[in-house]
Amino acid sequence: MMVVAKGQERVRLATFQSQALVVAKVRAIVVLLLFLLAVVAMISRLFYIGAFEEHNVASNNGTLYIPPRGDIVDRNGVPLARTIQAFAIRVVPEKIIGDKAVLSEQLAEIFPDTSAQKFLQILNRDKPTYLRRRVVPEVANRVHALGEVGFDFPSENERFYPQHSLGAHLLGYVNADEEGAMGVEGAMNSLLKQEDMRSQPLELAMDARVQAALEQELGSQMLRLEAKGAAGIILDVDSGEVIALASMPEFNPNKIQKGDIPRQLNAVTNNVYELGSTFKPLTVAAALDAGTVTNLATRYDATEPIRIAGFVIKDDHPQNRYLNVPETLVHSSNIVTARLADNLGAERMQKLVRSLGFDVPPEIDLNQKAQPLWPSKWGRTNNMTIAYGHGISVTPMHLASAYAAMVNGGIWRPASIKKLRESEIPAGRRVFKASTSARMRQLLRMIVVHGTGRSADAEGFRIGGKTGSAEKPEDGGYNKKSLVSTFAAAFPMDNPRYVVISMIDEPSGNAASSFQRTAAYTAAPVIRNLVPRIGPMLGVMPDKRRDVNISELTPLLWKAGG
Amino acid sequence: MSDNAVKRPSVVFSEGISRRFSNRLGRSDRSQLSIWFWEIDRIALSIMLILMAIGLIAIAAASPATAERLSTDRVTLDPLYFFYRQLRWLAVGIPVMIVVSMLPKKEARRLAILAMIGFGILLMLVPILGESKNGAQRWIGYGLTIQPSEFLKPAFAVTIAWILSLKVRDPSLPVTLFSGFLFASVACLLMMQPNLGATIVFFGIWFVLVLLAGLSAQIIALTMAGGVGGLLGAYFLYPTATARINSWLFGGDSFDQVSLAHKTLTNGGFIGAGPGLGTAKFRLPEAHTDYIFSVVGEEFGLFACAAIAIIYLILIGRVLMRLQEENDLFTSLAVTGLVAQIGGQAMINMAVNLQLFPSKGMTLPFVSYGGSSMIALCFAAGLLLAFSRRNPYLDRSLTNRDSQGLEWHTG
Repeated sequence: MMVVAKGQERVRLATFQSQALVVAKVRAIVVLLLFLLAVVAMISRLFYIGAFEEHNVASNNGTLYIPPRGDIVDRNGVPLARTIQAFAIRVVPEKIIGDKAVLSEQLAEIFPDTSAQKFLQILNRDKPTYLRRRVVPEVANRVHALGEVGFDFPSENERFYPQHSLGAHLLGYVNADEEGAMGVEGAMNSLLKQEDMRSQPLELAMDARVQAALEQELGSQMLRLEAKGAAGIILDVDSGEVIALASMPEFNPNKIQKGDIPRQLNAVTNNVYELGSTFKPLTVAAALDAGTVTNLATRYDATEPIRIAGFVIKDDHPQNRYLNVPETLVHSSNIVTARLADNLGAERMQKLVRSLGFDVPPEIDLNQKAQPLWPSKWGRTNNMTIAYGHGISVTPMHLASAYAAMVNGGIWRPASIKKLRESEIPAGRRVFKASTSARMRQLLRMIVVHGTGRSADAEGFRIGGKTGSAEKPEDGGYNKKSLVSTFAAAFPMDNPRYVVISMIDEPSGNAASSFQRTAAYTAAPVIRNLVPRIGPMLGVMPDKRRDVNISELTPLLWKAGG
Repeated sequence: MSDNAVKRPSVVFSEGISRRFSNRLGRSDRSQLSIWFWEIDRIALSIMLILMAIGLIAIAAASPATAERLSTDRVTLDPLYFFYRQLRWLAVGIPVMIVVSMLPKKEARRLAILAMIGFGILLMLVPILGESKNGAQRWIGYGLTIQPSEFLKPAFAVTIAWILSLKVRDPSLPVTLFSGFLFASVACLLMMQPNLGATIVFFGIWFVLVLLAGLSAQIIALTMAGGVGGLLGAYFLYPTATARINSWLFGGDSFDQVSLAHKTLTNGGFIGAGPGLGTAKFRLPEAHTDYIFSVVGEEFGLFACAAIAIIYLILIGRVLMRLQEENDLFTSLAVTGLVAQIGGQAMINMAVNLQLFPSKGMTLPFVSYGGSSMIALCFAAGLLLAFSRRNPYLDRSLTNRDSQGLEWHTG
């Protein structure tokens, strides 16, 4: 009995054992399936994340830094403006635990440009104040080492211009609210802040090397002549790109000061001048274009000044004879230019001036633009004075664009601050016939070879251009001693590539310019020094064997005893 | 002739060498090491070692983030500080794993039960002697601190498996009830610390084991309801859990761990930012431990994350499928319990990183920087390998008895 029961018990136990094993095995598979389910869920989630959720770093630009405001570079990638993190030093007066008098002494030691008294005043204010912004880390550390809990050091975005004042008027600066205040910073503010554009630097048409040469030549001439100011622009005649733009005196966009405001005036685009004789080639071009001058040998009476409506038009270098068109430009005759305009008529003259955009602010992608001073009425007299640049005030930018159109084959294009690709160059509008443009190249070159522009000539660079010395209007008349001396040039004249304008504002007429104030002694030498510096940078090499052919016109110049 | 005379000794020598090496770990080698090598689950062991290697790469990626965060003005930690520390822990942990895996089953079981008693006592002492870190009192020891709960996990799994397997000797024993009582006591001690994450893992181990031990469907349903109830209770009664579950459900502020981890994970896209090029990791607390999976995601991409998840699944699958050939209930239960511990912890950690589960303080087994918990994990892995050891010849004769196994025996 016992044995049987025990045997039965053992069988029962064995059955139970194997049943338990089967249950365990089946349920182990269930557990495995649960794990499988979990992994499937996680992999789906991973793919969901990868496919639909944003990820900032793609594999190939893992190290790319996207600045809070786009960088600005020149046409060759030289950095002109970038945003950096800098410390500010802020004081929260109510948190100060140290002795304020001692603290202000210590601060004055760190910042010798501010007195301890001034610091004490700041520390005694009842609201938080910035002590300094844009501080280098060493200085921030020194202030931190004072051990005062009342100071904090917020890290702020600061716009940094590594080239300092270079191209300051073109670049502009950024104000305390991180908004562009002027120049490119102002005009392209939204573009520079745009999320998807910031990673790429904004490429300007400017060439920093050329800009530096222009600023240096203009600046040194301004100092030598003790002039009030100077301005210059270099324009690509075929695309309208602004290769350099300088306005003197300059300012440092890294450190904007209260006294800067007059310095911040962009004299190239935001100030109008009577640009004088530099207008004469435009008048001649209009006359050639309209067909009122058919023969360059035709001579016009310049024996004596024209008296019209109580107004006297006379020459600065009177020849007292009859002059043909080339001689008119070479000797810069007001009288004959006025006669040419009279022949052309007010309507066609006005049409020219409007087609060159002289009735509207200069067309350039900046916000600092001045409205030209348009004559209140365009009578016969005005028509004749405008012909030689008096009675209408435009910006140097207007003049540069007009000269570009005059020498590039006759196509006027708006100026561009941004570097343009081949496809982005605007089609422009035709303002002169191509034949007129070709003739004007010869005439402009003649002025430099034989005329008032001789002091602008640089050997091998085939410079052509025209002087302009306009007296500033004053109390209804003109002030003979305050001149705006301009030289509008283009080079190389056999195939013009660049227009260069140099302008000296109120040269003092000292020994440096042989006591002269006119453009030939002030603005033209800038061109002579500048073009050999910038030519090779811009791909224009000096070559004495090349030049525009002026031999057909040279015989028209009468020479005494010749 | 002269050629032979010159060559002969070298030939003999090389033959001797090759014979000696070919015998080493060969099937005819009867040394302890050789038997261990043929009996052990080499695939599972390889996968674990692969995970440790992945872990080293991941820690090298995550170490600079944590080292920078923990550096002070006085002490600057080497960027690879945690990488070198992990190497040292692995140098201790891997031998522990191998030695434990060499124990015979009975001794391994005895060791686990003793560990259960020893670390159980330590766990009880934690409230008295323990030190606090990050708002929870979990650590004990002087100089070298350990978390008793980490070592208790594998010991608990084996002990519960042993208790449950006793029923095949005497079905009348109330094994389920007794194991439940053991779990409840451990859970009480853990919640005193408090440590909800570990409690969930212990619950998971226990539940998987009673499930395998043949718990009836009604009780399973009841237990699941109890688990949900427990979580709900934790949510309402236990402030850390409340905060974490809230931030999981409703999205916390952008600077809590969960969203920082999410930013890190998503930063690299499918193929990652590249080794050492991650940036979001530097803002992540616990980059080298709880959120290492996110760091892998940022630097090596979401594909790498998916690969890691699949490697865990292969490990679990391999171990569980191999158990289908096992005839000993205790072995089945112990191995399942241990794999549930390792696999469950891995799944929860990855799910937390993927925001599929509320944030828990839990590491990714073999991959996360561990310290002493690395040793505990190696102990668990060693036990798993010890219990899953099997005579490869015995297998075929037993499981395939009906087919060629029988022929092989008779023939």
